[in-house]
Amino acid sequence: MRKRGLKFYAGMYRKILVQDLKSKMSYRADFIISTFGMIMTNLSGFVTFMILFHNFPEINGWDYHHMLFLYGFSLVALTPVQCFFDNNWNLRFMVQSGDFIKYCFRPVNVFFYFISEVFDVKGLGQLAFGIGTIVYAWIKIGIPVTPLVILKLLVFLLTASLFMIALMNFAAATCFWIKGSGYVMVIMFRFKDFAKYPSSIFEGIFKIIFTFIIPIAFIAYYPSLVILTPDNVPLLSWISPLYGLVFVYLSYKFWMLGVRKYDFTGS
Amino acid sequence: MSDLSVNEAVVMRNVCKDFKVLNRHEGLKGSIRDLFSRDYNTVSAVKDVTLTVHKGEIIGYLGPNGAGKSTTIKMMTGVLEPTSGEILVNGKVPYKNRTENCENIGVVFGQRSQLWWSLPLIESFKLLRDLYMVPQKDYEAMIELYRSLVDIDPILHKPVRQMSLGQRTLSDILAAFLHNPPIVFLDEPTIGLDVSMKAKIRELILGLNKEKNTTVILTTHDMGDVDALCKRIVIIDKGTKIYDNDIEHLKNYFGSYRTLKLKLADDTWEEYLIDEKTTDVMDVIMEKQKEKKIKDVKILEISTEEVIKKIYEGSAK
Repeated sequence: MRKRGLKFYAGMYRKILVQDLKSKMSYRADFIISTFGMIMTNLSGFVTFMILFHNFPEINGWDYHHMLFLYGFSLVALTPVQCFFDNNWNLRFMVQSGDFIKYCFRPVNVFFYFISEVFDVKGLGQLAFGIGTIVYAWIKIGIPVTPLVILKLLVFLLTASLFMIALMNFAAATCFWIKGSGYVMVIMFRFKDFAKYPSSIFEGIFKIIFTFIIPIAFIAYYPSLVILTPDNVPLLSWISPLYGLVFVYLSYKFWMLGVRKYDFTGS
Repeated sequence: MSDLSVNEAVVMRNVCKDFKVLNRHEGLKGSIRDLFSRDYNTVSAVKDVTLTVHKGEIIGYLGPNGAGKSTTIKMMTGVLEPTSGEILVNGKVPYKNRTENCENIGVVFGQRSQLWWSLPLIESFKLLRDLYMVPQKDYEAMIELYRSLVDIDPILHKPVRQMSLGQRTLSDILAAFLHNPPIVFLDEPTIGLDVSMKAKIRELILGLNKEKNTTVILTTHDMGDVDALCKRIVIIDKGTKIYDNDIEHLKNYFGSYRTLKLKLADDTWEEYLIDEKTTDVMDVIMEKQKEKKIKDVKILEISTEEVIKKIYEGSAK
């Protein structure tokens, strides 16, 4: 059999993406409305944040600009899951209706084929908003701009993004076993709101849950410490890239296990 | 398995497939109990099916709803693993080499389009070409072949979501043949289509089978499909193979059967199954006319369901 390596998959993804974008542009009204909706969503999130900080100028020792940095960091880190993995939201409908079977008839990885089908443009607005916020907070805090810091930022942004991808993979794949997987997804997706706050506000059992079981703390808090407190970086921050990769890998395996276990009943 | 079976398109030997189904209880209390219940029932969808499909053949795979047709197809396509027994598709075990198996099969599954919903057909074709790594030369030759068999130009630049059901089915069939697979599975390809579209699709399938010597495994409830396409049919009911022979053979037994429908004065229909070899249809009509007023008469060929029923009742022995 001819081999399908990373290069094949990257090329294939690009081709599908280009076609998808082209067809999306052709629905202008849809495009404009969703862009508008995206801006409003981000604005309302931001306003909530401002109101909160108007009343509590400091959260657990974190001042306004540090919190703002964390906020922007989480927005950027949540972009990949929004842009590239949005089809996970459709998984349960496909599985319940039996339409999912069509993804199993192509000579490519089922997860890739399924995920490649949807690219959500809305995530790009969030990305722009997040970058703007990070840059603003960066300047106000006065973090030095060196190539090393920028590199660290990129690496740890990427790391942070892995956790939400993994969580959503896990949540979506539950639909292969249970009917009410929609709730699991919504709950997981809600958890991301905690990512905007320093994990140090959680105590005891919650701290353990949000660090190791549902690792929300890694979506922004631990990775951003590498930039925010370079002199005092916890060990968890340094191992987060490895932990992220393992977590994504496990979620992928779980997803694929679901495909294998699923009976494809009904025709 | 013998070496010979490697040269067949599909070989199934004593294939069984069981599903575990949870015994559900009623009410809220029952649902909570189900959460922890280990109370499973085993349902046999396919029981001990042995079947050989030769290269280049078009076979009709028939059976009533829930007979186990789809389960068999899903096993042949490598989506499901048989509980026991052996399957070879193109000489390989499909479940163990799913991606490799997928390269060598084409699938059209019911009314579910497998194309990219929002893309024009030609773009879907190009993506499939890349996905299956079809050389450009072969791809172009295939498009030319399509052009000679059907009028594809009006649909080539149309997004799939704007197509009529007929156009979509046509597109799906073309897409399934695009990488020139040795075997194509067609699951009810003409369901819901009008008469002329049905004819067009049957012609296309025949044409492609002839040109490329593609093995076609067709499941359908439409006897018209079977008559137009298949020389051989396999019938399965309740998971067991109950008929596997030429269509001629089937017709010898049931071709003389007619379904006679009579519309009575109160607008209700009465149905009679008549064997023309022994009884003349006209006699029956005249007989009935003496008893009651008949408003309308329909004489139909025996339906697939009735053939299957007949066979299942053991008449074909």
